[in-house]
Amino acid sequence: MDPQTRDLERAPRESGQRDRSRTQTVLRNVGIPVLSIVLVLLLWQAIVIIFHVAPYIAPRPMAAIQSVTDNWGLLWPLVLGTIRETIYGFVCGAVLGLGLGVIMAKTPFLHRMVYPVLVLSQGVPIIALGAPLVLILGFGVTPKVVIVAWIVFFPVTVNVLAGLSHVDQDLLNLARVYGASRWRTFWQIEIPASTTSLFAGMKIGATYAVTGAILGELVTPSGASGSLALYQETANTNFNVAAVYGTTMVMTAIGISWFLLIVGSEVLATPWQRRTVARRSMFRRRRDVPPTLRVH
Amino acid sequence: MSSNDLLQLRGVAKSFGATLALEPTSLDIQDGSFVAIVGPSGCGKSTLFNVIAGLLKPDSGEVQVADHVVTGTAGHVGYMLQKDLLMPWRTVEENITMAARLTRGVNDDDRAEARRVAEQYGLGEFLRHYPHALSGGMRQRVAFMRTLVTRHPLLLLDEPFGALDAQTRLEMQQWLLEVWKEAQRTVLFITHDVDESIFLSDRVLVMSPRPGRIIADFVNPLARPRNLDVLTDPHFVELKSQILHLLHGGR
Repeated sequence: MDPQTRDLERAPRESGQRDRSRTQTVLRNVGIPVLSIVLVLLLWQAIVIIFHVAPYIAPRPMAAIQSVTDNWGLLWPLVLGTIRETIYGFVCGAVLGLGLGVIMAKTPFLHRMVYPVLVLSQGVPIIALGAPLVLILGFGVTPKVVIVAWIVFFPVTVNVLAGLSHVDQDLLNLARVYGASRWRTFWQIEIPASTTSLFAGMKIGATYAVTGAILGELVTPSGASGSLALYQETANTNFNVAAVYGTTMVMTAIGISWFLLIVGSEVLATPWQRRTVARRSMFRRRRDVPPTLRVH
Repeated sequence: MSSNDLLQLRGVAKSFGATLALEPTSLDIQDGSFVAIVGPSGCGKSTLFNVIAGLLKPDSGEVQVADHVVTGTAGHVGYMLQKDLLMPWRTVEENITMAARLTRGVNDDDRAEARRVAEQYGLGEFLRHYPHALSGGMRQRVAFMRTLVTRHPLLLLDEPFGALDAQTRLEMQQWLLEVWKEAQRTVLFITHDVDESIFLSDRVLVMSPRPGRIIADFVNPLARPRNLDVLTDPHFVELKSQILHLLHGGR
């Protein structure tokens, strides 16, 4: 008997112990990462205490966290602003990246035409985009969204392009033998086969998205409403070191959350990578087999 | 119907560049028969299949399926390869109904039919499993059911069991004979394995490489139903020896 069949036969026994193993999995997957973050904060605290680091150079982590909670009323709208820039920019960038990837994979001519421009776009220092973007788009959220999208679309395009060009040629031939249309082949085979690549690109994009938003806040002014980056700059000018570090922690938290959200949506979108048996579909009512059709 | 022949090839030839992959070949396959094709690698077996399936347009000649000229057009045959080509993101049931999904959309009849064949041929418990959870033999069964539910009378099987271990392969051969008997289809079966070709078929075609051509056409004298005892039957051994001589020149 081969290993896979053995796995199947083991499955029922395991389901009896599912609660315990599930708790263990959650502990392993969530507990250990949280623990390692706590350890980093403890190390930070230890270094500040042991080496007598002056508070105007580096605060203790608790002081940084406290500066965040004390000023939360002031910070919260700014955090929301950064989150909004990140989401808008990421969605625009991912959609643009996916669209470009598909178009380029399907038309070799456009591939040759557009690819150099894409590489060029990534060669432009983002900082240098600030002034022209303000001239074209003014203040407010739009130039930040453009900067985030500018950063996000590229890894998405590159990965989608790779994913689409590595679809199994035999599978595409099989679809042709069935007499499948190009459109159905695209939706039923090429897109699902590229999901993993799409998410690989989006995960890279997600790690840079918040950095892009903060960079956008630095190089394009936000007017009276202010921004998280501006808040940190002001704290720095006032020698409020705890607030500088605290803001950095907030920015990091937004970045990690966004990345985890993308990882989570990948898990939801690709059940076959973790599950042995499909869940019942949420969208389609499954009709059971009429008894007359059952053959034993 | 002008004849009992489901598939007719008339002088079908195919070259790739300067290489003649398939000499002008004519062939009649009787409706309901099981015909095996053996030959060494690169003898044009797969080219022949791709021409029949409509993936390749022959340089000359004509392909007829059920008295319709289908030369160079797809959608007339069931087709299965050594790779199971199951879609990892689809369940067993969804993989079986894939041809419908790729051509016109899946309806309840397709789903019922998929469940019926899966239950009839021993995969009823695995309808909601993803392919990665199945063994190699089970995956090939799913791939075969996917081919079967297309309802095409002609099935082209290109070394479908080539990647399986000897034990599983033997089980799959017996299983295939059972299904073939019940489903009443015509099967063209490519293999490297002379034993397999004789065990399964009514007729064995032997091909030789460069340029690919059919050099012998044996009628299989073995009676059906067959069990593993036929592997030592004198007729079996005699036919095997003839085929081996053709393939290896008596070495």
